[in-house]
Amino acid sequence: MVRRAAGAVALMAAFAAAFAPVVRAQSLARLTVQSFTRAADTTSPKIDLPFHLILTLRVRERVDQIANLDLPMLAQLELLGDERETTTTPSGTLYRETITVVAHTAGTIAIAPATLQAIDARDGKPKQWYTNGLNLRIAGPGPQVLRTAGFIVRQVAIALLWLLLWLVGIGCVVLALVLIFRRSRRSAPVVVAPPPPRAPLPVTRSPREWAQDALTVLRAERSRQAAVAVRSAIWRMVGASDGETLGDVLSRPGTNAPTTRALLVALERSAFTYDADLDAAIDDACGALERFIESAS
Amino acid sequence: MNASRTPNDLAVALGQTIVGQSGVIEALLLALLSNGHVLLEGPPGLAKTLACRSLAAALEGEFKRIQFTPDLLPSDIVGTRIFDQRESAFATVLGPIFANVVLADEINRAPAKVQSALLEAMQERQVTIGPQSYELPDPFVVMATMNPLDSEGTYALPIAQMDRFLMKVNVGYPSSEDERQILDRFAVADTQPVRAVATLDDVRAWRAQAHAVHIDEKLKRYIVDLVVKTREPSKYVDYGASPRATLALAFLARGRAFLDGRDFALPDDVRAVAGHALRHRIGFNYRLTVEGMNADTVIDGMIAAVPAP
Repeated sequence: MVRRAAGAVALMAAFAAAFAPVVRAQSLARLTVQSFTRAADTTSPKIDLPFHLILTLRVRERVDQIANLDLPMLAQLELLGDERETTTTPSGTLYRETITVVAHTAGTIAIAPATLQAIDARDGKPKQWYTNGLNLRIAGPGPQVLRTAGFIVRQVAIALLWLLLWLVGIGCVVLALVLIFRRSRRSAPVVVAPPPPRAPLPVTRSPREWAQDALTVLRAERSRQAAVAVRSAIWRMVGASDGETLGDVLSRPGTNAPTTRALLVALERSAFTYDADLDAAIDDACGALERFIESAS
Repeated sequence: MNASRTPNDLAVALGQTIVGQSGVIEALLLALLSNGHVLLEGPPGLAKTLACRSLAAALEGEFKRIQFTPDLLPSDIVGTRIFDQRESAFATVLGPIFANVVLADEINRAPAKVQSALLEAMQERQVTIGPQSYELPDPFVVMATMNPLDSEGTYALPIAQMDRFLMKVNVGYPSSEDERQILDRFAVADTQPVRAVATLDDVRAWRAQAHAVHIDEKLKRYIVDLVVKTREPSKYVDYGASPRATLALAFLARGRAFLDGRDFALPDDVRAVAGHALRHRIGFNYRLTVEGMNADTVIDGMIAAVPAP
């Protein structure tokens, strides 16, 4: 449940980042950008170990907040948190955004640059600034030190378990001796050792979880951009890519269920219908998502 | 107008007479809804004439057929002025182009000046005879046919004139099953006339509704990207489609969405009509023929290379 909630928050944050360009007002702030960079606190993060992406912006002006700052979609990472801090000093403003993320699959992840749109105070022209892009290599299991530490912890746990079993065994023997001593005819109670802890399941999202997250997003943000983003997410859920049409997706195996087809058609409508019909189309899409979730449970 | 009548009623009525040519029927309806003209290319005997005649009958409209020959004159199409001896004055005789559905059969058999007269009338939707201009009827749809098998003694249409056609449809042979149905239906009796299922007013109303079909910004970008793709350097293409192709794609996508009962277009609509709108507007070079390639295969590759929104 906690994982699902975190997933929904992550998806909403990702969508919010994707919608930022649309929310952008035409009136841009006048800024003298001194630096605009992004870094990760590690260049080779490990699977399932959270790490941070840090965005730093220095401007000469003293401003309360930074607008028109767009972050790229972090589709291959799960978003765990987003912390923003704006520090104003006599020499200007330092904006720092720390995004906590975690990767669940190994491989190389290329993160597109973040962008800032503002009017350059130096020449009065509207411009767009880019941070550097990031290439992160997500490593598999941890380093040798961690593996050794894990091995030691496992050995200690096994030793403790054996000790516990010995104590239980000795206790049983003592109890049996006591019972025999008392000439009792009752048999000794069976003592069962506790089962070893289960290994955690790999992180895979079921279609139901995808749909629940999509429904959360669509209910929270009833806009065209949300509809398009949810359509894209459901496209990926059924194994389709963004460049495919509805016809392509409906011809894929695995989209034969009536609830799936109705969902795909409803999302297509919400992505392409005219503005006056958008509310009704989103209601239709939410209904289709609810029916899909119901059928998937 | 009777609001309950839809273009699909027309499609059903045409489908009862024309077997195995659903693509032609859809093309005729799209041309009607988009107020454009169609170039039909296919061997003889594939019910092209029957389809046009049936369309006019189903609309209670007027149908005229012009057989293009090398000795045809522009006045044979648009009309002429003749001297009336009784009145001692010139009188105007309107040509066969004054009809709602005009079949220009084997358009490439007439010389360039006759082709130009027809294409100019198609574009302007009026003709000038002597001192006076005459409006052509509305709706006015020209279905021009070309036979790809017998090209001796023909005058090929230049690309600039082909561009005037909203769409080009390749008419293929029907399937075996369809051909058996044709045998069952027509070998034992004469062709049954198509009953009128709509009026010309209906067509004008549908056209207005189709014109109002919404095309999202993402879809507009997709249409432009598709047309721009045809202009990229390619082994088989000398020059790509004109901006008229962009407009044609949008008109046809709207028409297809309307036929499907939607008031907004989808990427699937654009993809479905892209071949019709592009195939006669792209200048393919000799390599296509030398290497035995098919123009439609190249166009399909171009369409597949542009990701849908």
